[in-house]
Amino acid sequence: MISDSALAESFFRHGRSDACPIIDMHGHMGRWKGIYFPRASAEAMIHTMDQCGVRLLVFCHHAALFCPDIGNAASARAVRKFPDRLRAYLGVNPHYGAALAADLAGFDDNRDVFVGLKLLASYHQVPWDAPAYEPAWRFADQRGLPVLGHTWGGSSLDGPEQVRRAAEKYPNVRLLLGHSLHGDWGEAAAIARDFPNVYLELTAVLDDRGVLETFVAAGLSGKLLFGTDLPWFDPHHGIGAILSAEITDEDRHNILHRNAERLLADVGAKPN
Amino acid sequence: MRFFDCNTYVGLPMNPPPGQPARPGVSAQELLAAMDRAGIEKALVWHVAQRDYDPLAGNELLAEAIAGHDRLAGCWTLLPPQCRELGDLDEWLARAAAAGVRAFRAFGQENRYLLRGEALGDVLSRLAAGRRPLILSVGKEWQALYDLLGEFPELTVILADLDCWGTDRYFRPLIERYPNVCVEISGYILDGGIEAFVGDYGAGRMLFGSGFPAAYHGGMMLALAHAEISEQDKQAIAAGNLDRLLGEVGP
Ligand SMILES: [Zn+2]
Repeated sequence: MISDSALAESFFRHGRSDACPIIDMHGHMGRWKGIYFPRASAEAMIHTMDQCGVRLLVFCHHAALFCPDIGNAASARAVRKFPDRLRAYLGVNPHYGAALAADLAGFDDNRDVFVGLKLLASYHQVPWDAPAYEPAWRFADQRGLPVLGHTWGGSSLDGPEQVRRAAEKYPNVRLLLGHSLHGDWGEAAAIARDFPNVYLELTAVLDDRGVLETFVAAGLSGKLLFGTDLPWFDPHHGIGAILSAEITDEDRHNILHRNAERLLADVGAKPN
Repeated sequence: MRFFDCNTYVGLPMNPPPGQPARPGVSAQELLAAMDRAGIEKALVWHVAQRDYDPLAGNELLAEAIAGHDRLAGCWTLLPPQCRELGDLDEWLARAAAAGVRAFRAFGQENRYLLRGEALGDVLSRLAAGRRPLILSVGKEWQALYDLLGEFPELTVILADLDCWGTDRYFRPLIERYPNVCVEISGYILDGGIEAFVGDYGAGRMLFGSGFPAAYHGGMMLALAHAEISEQDKQAIAAGNLDRLLGEVGP
């Protein structure tokens, strides 16, 4: 299947590829109000990762983003249970400044758990350049941390203008555009070309045929990161899409693991 | 595994989907070449002009596109008969069958009518009697779909293009109540979704579809090929169920 790719041959035959140990840079965990998840627990997610050949998932527990009563502790528990397979983004809820300050103050003591920050401005209804986010941006900029932001084309909260502004103002942040400014693919590619520290993350991008080819043709093979929103989307679906796209196996290795390996090594979070 | 794709179109969309400037649509020949590359044996095809331009012209374009290709079966698009656009319904269905059409689609929003008995009763009663599948791209129209199935509980309906933002709580009640409702998986990319569905309902009412050329062939092919269900169940979803449904279509 996919007759022109050796990598596809391996994935279709075995479901995974030892030569291509995947890093998923965008996950969540646990139940969530809007979707029935058959596999929401850390254990079930690890099972899926095993099935698909995903060696490492960087995630942010739904509770950290949607339930201030529980917060980031949920992510930490899961990472400490599966330290070889999981790392977390510290979830930022801009409505709870004191809790955020406390989380950031504890960040350096929990580097075994957290590799960066996660923003979900479209859901929290606060724009990236609002004062409430500034402590998080400054913290990440000082440390050169990855910040995975949900980004969406047309959004005034986390759309292209906000992304450009943040990339200019915080040049040390490794800015991961979750969903690649979904729908505004041209702007996503332009921003990723303009700013060396901006990466395009592919959750919910891979269900639209052709976007990946557009990004690779724009010279961005080295700046694309695989992601699934696990437990939302089956990694096999995303992998199968990447195998189907009209790009090379070298591009596929870049997207599925090499770019993430380099990024994580750069920020001192080298996967095992 | 043998794949029979129940959700793919030919033709050029009026507006190419964003991000697909190079080749937004395909001819029947290009579709067959892409199916060869992916390893798909057969497809049940519609023509994008049925949605974007005009159902009648689109139906004719579909008939021309699949003529002579025995790997391609077709879908025609319905209209409410009150405007006399389809002519005599029995003759229209006979022409459809002669053109290789095995299933039907309805685009109520684009064609501006309601998916209800008042509008489509004469057409849908014939589809139900002949066990002709109706493929519906669901979108957000769940209320209308519930109403439609309440009126036509025997209809064979394939729920297609489920969006990826969580649809189980919408479609599972329909699966439990109406025995001829099936789901097509191109948009059902939920992790563990295939396994959970098959565990609760068996494999007989889930159908492989790719969504090509708007989506890639290989996404759900790989997901299905490595789903944790029996080989027999995988094969049923990949092709067997659609073979069975189309085999039941009456005169
Ligand atoms: Zn997310």
